This record gives sequence, C-alpha cells and structure tokens, in this order.
Amino acid sequence: MRRKFEVLGRESAATLLLLAMRRMGSLALAVAVAGGCALSADVPTDLPNVVGPAPLRRLSNTEYLHALHDLFPSQVHALPLLPNDSSNSGFDNETEAQQPSDVRIARYEAIANLYAEDATRTTEAIQKLAHCTEWQTPTSAEACRAKFIESVGGFVFRRPLTSDERDRLTLRFQAWTTAVDFEAAVRLTLSAMLQSPQFLYRAEPLPDLPSLPSAPLAVEPYAMASRLSFFLWQSIPDNFLLEAASKNELGSTDQVRAQATRMLNDDRARRVFWNFHRQWLGLDRVLGEEHSVRTPQVDPMWTSKSQYAASEESRYFVENTMMSTGTLRELLMSRRAWVNDEMARTYDLAPTGDASAWREVLLPDANRAGILTRAAFLAGFSHRGATSPPIRGSAIQLHWLCKLPSAPPPGVDLSMPKALPEDGAQTNRTLFERRTAPGPCQGCHIGLNGFGFGFENYTAAGAFQTQEQGLPIDARGTVVGTDVDRPFDGAVDLSAALEGSEAVRSCVTRQWMTYALGRAPATEERALEDALKTRLTSSGGNLRELLVDIVTSPTFRLQPIKEK
Amino acid sequence: MQLHRRQLLKALGLSALCTLAGRGPAALAAPGAIETTPRRIVFFVTPHGLVPNSWTMPIPDARAEAFAERSLLGLPPADFSEVLRPLHPFRDRFVAIEGLSHATVLADIREVMRSGGDLNNHSIGVAGLLTATRALQKTGIPCTGGARSLDQELAARTGGGGRFASRVYGFDHVPNSTVAPFSFLGPGQASPVVADPAAAFADLMGFRIPSANASRPTTREASIAALRPSVLDSVSREYELLAPRLDSAGKRKLEDHRDLIRQLESSLGAGLSAKCDQNIDRSGDKTTQFMRLIKLAFSCDLTRVATFVAPVPQCPEFGYPADAAVHTYAHQSIKGATSCGETFNPTAARAMTDLGVWYAGHFATLLRELDSVVEGSGTLLDHSVVVWLTELATPTHLHTDHFALVAGSGDFFKTGRYVRYPRDTSNPISGMAAMGPGHNRLFVSLMRAMGQPDTSFGQREVRGADGSTISLTGPLSELHRS
Repeated sequence: MRRKFEVLGRESAATLLLLAMRRMGSLALAVAVAGGCALSADVPTDLPNVVGPAPLRRLSNTEYLHALHDLFPSQVHALPLLPNDSSNSGFDNETEAQQPSDVRIARYEAIANLYAEDATRTTEAIQKLAHCTEWQTPTSAEACRAKFIESVGGFVFRRPLTSDERDRLTLRFQAWTTAVDFEAAVRLTLSAMLQSPQFLYRAEPLPDLPSLPSAPLAVEPYAMASRLSFFLWQSIPDNFLLEAASKNELGSTDQVRAQATRMLNDDRARRVFWNFHRQWLGLDRVLGEEHSVRTPQVDPMWTSKSQYAASEESRYFVENTMMSTGTLRELLMSRRAWVNDEMARTYDLAPTGDASAWREVLLPDANRAGILTRAAFLAGFSHRGATSPPIRGSAIQLHWLCKLPSAPPPGVDLSMPKALPEDGAQTNRTLFERRTAPGPCQGCHIGLNGFGFGFENYTAAGAFQTQEQGLPIDARGTVVGTDVDRPFDGAVDLSAALEGSEAVRSCVTRQWMTYALGRAPATEERALEDALKTRLTSSGGNLRELLVDIVTSPTFRLQPIKEK
Repeated sequence: MQLHRRQLLKALGLSALCTLAGRGPAALAAPGAIETTPRRIVFFVTPHGLVPNSWTMPIPDARAEAFAERSLLGLPPADFSEVLRPLHPFRDRFVAIEGLSHATVLADIREVMRSGGDLNNHSIGVAGLLTATRALQKTGIPCTGGARSLDQELAARTGGGGRFASRVYGFDHVPNSTVAPFSFLGPGQASPVVADPAAAFADLMGFRIPSANASRPTTREASIAALRPSVLDSVSREYELLAPRLDSAGKRKLEDHRDLIRQLESSLGAGLSAKCDQNIDRSGDKTTQFMRLIKLAFSCDLTRVATFVAPVPQCPEFGYPADAAVHTYAHQSIKGATSCGETFNPTAARAMTDLGVWYAGHFATLLRELDSVVEGSGTLLDHSVVVWLTELATPTHLHTDHFALVAGSGDFFKTGRYVRYPRDTSNPISGMAAMGPGHNRLFVSLMRAMGQPDTSFGQREVRGADGSTISLTGPLSELHRS
C-alpha cells in the first residue's frame, strides 16, 4: 500500500517546517550560503577524495511530476504532455541533454497555472495553504501574505527564501492584490513560484568568496537535502530532511548515512528503484510497438495486455526486491514474483479468475530465478515471431558487463536464419550456430551466442519450453570475457554465474553512479568507482548499501572548485 | 499599502510588456497594417518507405541514364500511380521526384559497420533524414541526430517572424512511446514534439489574452488571465538574477530559459491578423487535425516552419485487420527481397501500398487546407514549400531510391511534373545498387526557395564503394523554374 505524502495542505507538517525555518532564520541561511565553518563536511576517509563536475541540473520530467505530486497530493490533473527528456546516456536525467525549449516553457506555465488555480479554489483551501484564517484587514492580510510566501515558498524552493526573494515576491503579491484581490494574488504568486528556477532547477551557486577555495567545499545543507531527495525519492525533500538541513545536520557521514537509510526504507524509494532498473535493464522495452503482437506460433493469446503485464510484473519484482534485502543475489536469483492472471498464464501458474488482482507467488525453481528469467526481459529482447540469442546476449553484455556491442562486418546477412526445406526441422539455436559459424563472426558471436543460447528455454513471449519443433532444446552456454568465465546450462545457472562476477559489480556500480550524478562518471572518479565496487563486494552485493555509499561519497557531497 | 497606477504597472512588470509587444512580429501587428506574404515550409515525413511500383510512374521514351521528366497536367487520374492519385487535383502544384537517395545515411551505415554503433535502419534514418549528416552514436541506446536538422536551421534563420520559430507535430499510436523526432535543435537535442492536437491548438491560440489596450476585463477570471504576462515577467526576473551566479554552462541554460519565457510573454496579448481564422474544424483523425493546425499556424503567421511526423497507423485505419502489424507488412512487401528473415507476401505489398495511399490522402488534405486561404494574389499554398519525405527508401528498410515530392511555391519550383534522376553513382555500401543524387541536394533547393543562398546542407561529400567521391553540393536545379 502506498502511503500518502502530504506536504502542502497538512497543517502539522507545514508548521513544522515553518518553525524550523524560523529557528534557522535568514541570518543562518546567509551563513550557510556564504561559506565558513558550516560548509566543512566530514568526508569518509576510506573513499577516494575525488569530486567530479557538478553541472546545473533541471528536474527531469519524472522528478518534476513527483515533486508536484508531493507538494499537492490531493490534486489530480490530466496534464499537458511535457516534451520528452532526451536520454543520450540511457537515463532520463542526463544533465547534458537538458536544454529548454519553447514547448517546455509553455507546458511549465500551463501546469503551474493549473495547480495554482486548484490550490486556491476555495477560501478554505487558501486558509490551509497560507496558514491563516482571514485577510480582511490590512494587518491580517499582511501577516497572511508573509506566512504564505515564507511557508509555501520554502517548500517550493526547498529552502528558506532569501530576503531578496521574499521582497520580490511580496512586491508582486501586493501589485496582484491591488490589480485583482488577495485570493488572486495567492494564486498568481504560487504560479510564479512553480515556474521559477528555484523550483525547476537545482542551482547550487558558489558562495561569494574572496578567492577560489583551495579544496572543494561541501554543498550547502539545503542543496544537499535536494541532492539526496531527488536521487533517492525522485522528488522534493520532506520536512525531516529540510529540518536536518536547517540544523546543519547533513554534513557528517553518519548524518547522511542515517538520512539515506531512512529514505530507502520509505515507500518513495520505490520510485528510484523502478526508474533506474526500468532504464538500466530496458524493462519497458517490452512496451514498444514491436512487442504489441506475437505470432500465433509463439503465443496466440498475446495482446497489448500481455505487454503491460510483463512490464508491471518486473516493476513489482524490482521494487519489492529492492525494498527488502536489495542484493544483487536477490535481483538475479529470487523466485518471488507478483503476478496477475495474464502473467500466471506466461509462467504456467493457475489463474485466480480475477484478472485485475496481483498476488505474490513463488516461481518453480527449475526454470525461473530473478529478473533475467522474467517476461519483461525475455520478450522485450525478442522478435515478434522468434527469439534472438544475439539480441539477448548483447543485452547481457551491455547492461550487466557495460560492454558495448560492435556492429557486424559489412555485407553480412542480418536476417533471421530460417531452415531450408531440405534440412527438415531445426532448432533456432542450430540455425544461429550455422549462420554465425564463419570465422569473422565468431570474434563477437562467441560472446553473444555464449550468453544468448542460455535463454533458448524461453519463448519470445517469455514462456518456458523444453522442446522446439519437436526437438529438445539445448540451453547450454558459456560465460565469456569476464572474471567468471565458465560453461553453464540455462538462464538460472547463468544468473548464478553473473551474481558472483566482479565485472558485473563494476558495471552495476557505474550505472548507479551515472544515475545518481546525472552524468557518466568522469575519468578522475575512476578510483571512487573502484572503491565503491570493492565495498559492494564486501557487503555481499548489497545494492541498498551501494546507494548509501554513493550518497556519502565526496563527489556526491562536495562541489568542485570552478571558475564562474 | 495602496499603489499608484505607475507604481502598480512597474510592480506588475507590465511596462516591460508594452515595450516588448511593440517589438512584436510584424505579422502580429494590428489589423490594417500592410500584410506581407512570408514564405513558409512544411516537412511532411512518413515512416518506413513506399513500395517503389506503388508510386513511380513511367516516363515514355526516356533513357534511364539521363534526367527525364513528364508533364502531369494532361493525365487523367487513372494514369497516375496509386500513391500519387489522391494528389491528382493538385497535379499542377507539385513535382514528384524519383531517383534520389539518402546518400549521407548510406555513408553513415557503412561507417558504423566499420566502427560500431547503432545500425538499426530506423534509428539511423530518423537521425539522418533531416540532418543529412552522421548520426550521433551513444553507448547502448539508439543513435540520434548529429546536427541541427534542416527545418530547425530554417527556423533559426527565417522563422523569427512568427510567434514560434517552428512547430514540430507528430504522434504514434503506441501509448508512452517516443515519436521519432527527425527534427533536432542540435546534436543529440531532439526538437520538442507536440503530439496532441488540442495541446497544439492551445499553444497556438491559448496564449492570447485580451489586448492591453482593450477595455477593462469584465470578469475576475479575465482580470487574472490578464496578469499572465506579469507572472511571466516576475519569473523571468528570477532567471536573470540567478544566471550570473552559476558557471558558464549553467548560466547559458538559464539565460536560454529566460529568453523563452520572454518570448512567451511578448506574444501574450498581441493582436492577430484580421485574416486569422481561429475557428478550427476538429473532425477527422488526428493527422487531419494537424493538417488544419498547420494551416492555422501559417495563416495567422504564428510560425513559418512546420514539421509533421506521420504516425504508423493501426491497421484498421487503412483497411486491414486489427491484429496485423505494419512492421511485418513492411518487411514482406517487396518481391525478391528478404528483409529480417521475412519473404515476399502479396497481401503485405498490397497493405503497404494502401498505407502509402492513406498518407497521400492526408498530404492532399494539407494541400487543400493551405490552398483554401487566399493570400495576396494567390493562396497560402503558393507561398509555402510543402515537402513529403520518407524515413526509409523502401519498406524493406533500404535507403537507396526514396520517394520525394515538393508542392507549392510554383514561382520557384517548376511544378506539374514527374521527374526522374539517373542512378549513376556508386553506392557507399559495397554490393548495393547504384544510386541517384543525395537527398541533401534537394535540401539546397529547398533552402534556395526559402531565400537562403547556401550551396550545401549537411555533409558536402561522401565516398562511394568504388572509391569515387560523391559531391553533395549544389541544388537540384532541374527542379527550379529558372
């Protein structure tokens, strides 16, 4: 069950922040921003002290929509579509690709207006939003205005406003009150806040120092709160994080570790688990047009419902696995699954008769293990009418070993191999073996086929099969080009081999770092990558621990020294 | 505190708006101003390619080795190829072009075969069609545009007159899937695509608020709406103040953002030309609606550059069973060709032909819509370049011999013809058939029609498999009137 996370509109939570901000006051903020002792961070000594670039980050579409949801949990709108986030790195939060466009700006305005209008629809709503009961007299209106700007501004900007910001918003608020009325001013001010760079971007301005600092500075506490929350929750910080920032309690490793641990136990962490794995492992690839149909020979009952069920099953699996032990072993080996009747059919389980219900089951141990034996991967990396061992093999190399595929040599036949009439029935494996037998093919296909043949027990719809065209299926393969090279038999055995691989841990570390930082790790961060991987190994492949290590590492907590 | 009127205007940021509105595009000026007839361009891009014999037409007595042409003017509909038949009513207004090749895409494919990367014919076609240069290859994901595409280049140079430099429309019937953009603002920067006609209409028309000079707003809602520029003004000030505190890349990003807000702000409340008919017929399928929206955008001079990426429709939309799939048809549509393991199937060839006819019907709608707006001594169609290009050359995913058609702008293009270029150049990929001129030479012609003197767009040359250098510079002057 998902909890609701109210920020605006629940008095106790908002009051808490207000108090925290009052306690902090603008003076304290000025200190934090201007540098000095408040910026020292106790950086862990056992992780390499390197700091990569920290380019300006815009909220990705996912983060933006989560942020709006968390700010206004009771509002549900059919929103105009934002332009897609380009994802040259494979992840939707890639900083380099975040150029603004006219359509995006128009959408931001429309969406801000929708939320602002809805949040101020009734007197009661405004009372709740602004934390005041009336604004009929000049004195009460002024008090109410100040409260509204400070508290709502604090949530939207994710930190107390500076005095300049407060003055600018106050001036506009007054003008809008004069032009229409108080209620309209609340609405217009809220709309302005939701379009401001303080909301849409995560600026971390350098403090004004007389000269460049000699060592990287800690990110100021509120920016650190945002770094944590946008990574681990894909959204805005909650009151506890903001309060910790206000008390400068995000400086020490222990404090950051405690916050991260708390956050990973919160249901909001499901967002990062799904968004990351969805993109890393291509778990939504099965939703593509190519997979809306399966040929009758593969699965006569496959429909678009099957596509969605396959993707949804992988979401349940990834989220629930990561919310519990969160180990690489579970991800690759766990037989726990959450299925509806559509998926039960694929996995050869009895239906319940209630097509919409999802339930937890344990899959049969002989033929299913973790994510690599689930329909989202098996069908998503197949063709409509047949499996493709090289495509599945290439996915293993790319996603799990960070090994780039290379293109086939010019002039080779890239069509699906088909049996000649005179040869009689042939397994898919035999056809591919024959096709890729020539010497020049083997350079790559020894690896592609080596991994890919291991999945031949699964159809292009993800169902388990032991025979094909009346012939027994041979799902033996070879792990090639890793630290754990060995022959294996079937995808469960392959998953076990990958689980023990140093190369896999290296690759997973790199992928998580890329997602955490909104960019690929820089050359100077190589040593950090290695250290994080070593820790992942010693933690027994605990991915939740890896995330905690990433957020406590220097590159996540410090700002590089840079000229403006 | 009571604000005086001047103080109030200042606090609202509306004094700035008045200045900005004054600098607004000429065509947005008050009714009665002298109307000019700017040149517009539409790129109508359809997925896959067309089955060759569904659209080509014979040219009697012509030799294959030389440029050849025939007039379309005296032909009855029955003498038109199937795909061109829906365009028969406009036969004097277009030139259909046979024999062009996506030379830069073919060269890119050859390079990627050598150096590695995404070789999917779709991705490389999407990346290379309108950029005419090598695709940007990134690890493990589909390749993407390696440079600014032609539509965006023209938008940057000539589109400033309208409210929007350009509009890119398109959609796919698969929920949540990304529309192949074709259009790129720069390397790896897909143009934002508006997929919903209602959103597109709101973009074009919804920004308008009662003019600052109009009588006082009568309702409270109208008063609030009238303050949109004031809100945008306050927002853009925030970008202005924050930008200088960031490093240069961050600063540039925020300044770009601010400029776009200012652009939106300055468009609010500006008057529209008297000829601008804001009533729009919302009947018909989404593609039809987008054709009308392009007319609306052009006739109101809200943009001068539009790109429409047609969808891959559901099969019933063009008369085939719901469980059939365009992609499978595509691979099976050409006799003698083996494509991704699929072999020829006559039903598939028929289906891909009917799909081509379906696209042609919508293209005809676009021409009809543009021709319905009288402008100066002609119609909007006469002042527009309307280009139809295909993602691939053939449905079997090849890039040699693609379909191209240019309509409108009869003062520049010699329309009313079917022309054929000889395939006399070595294909960059060895073992593939010889090809005709590169499609980016057509782009040079399009640029000329838009008043741009360039001699090339994208790559200036590629290498044939036989080692020859293939020049991709200069327009296809055979298409020009003089």
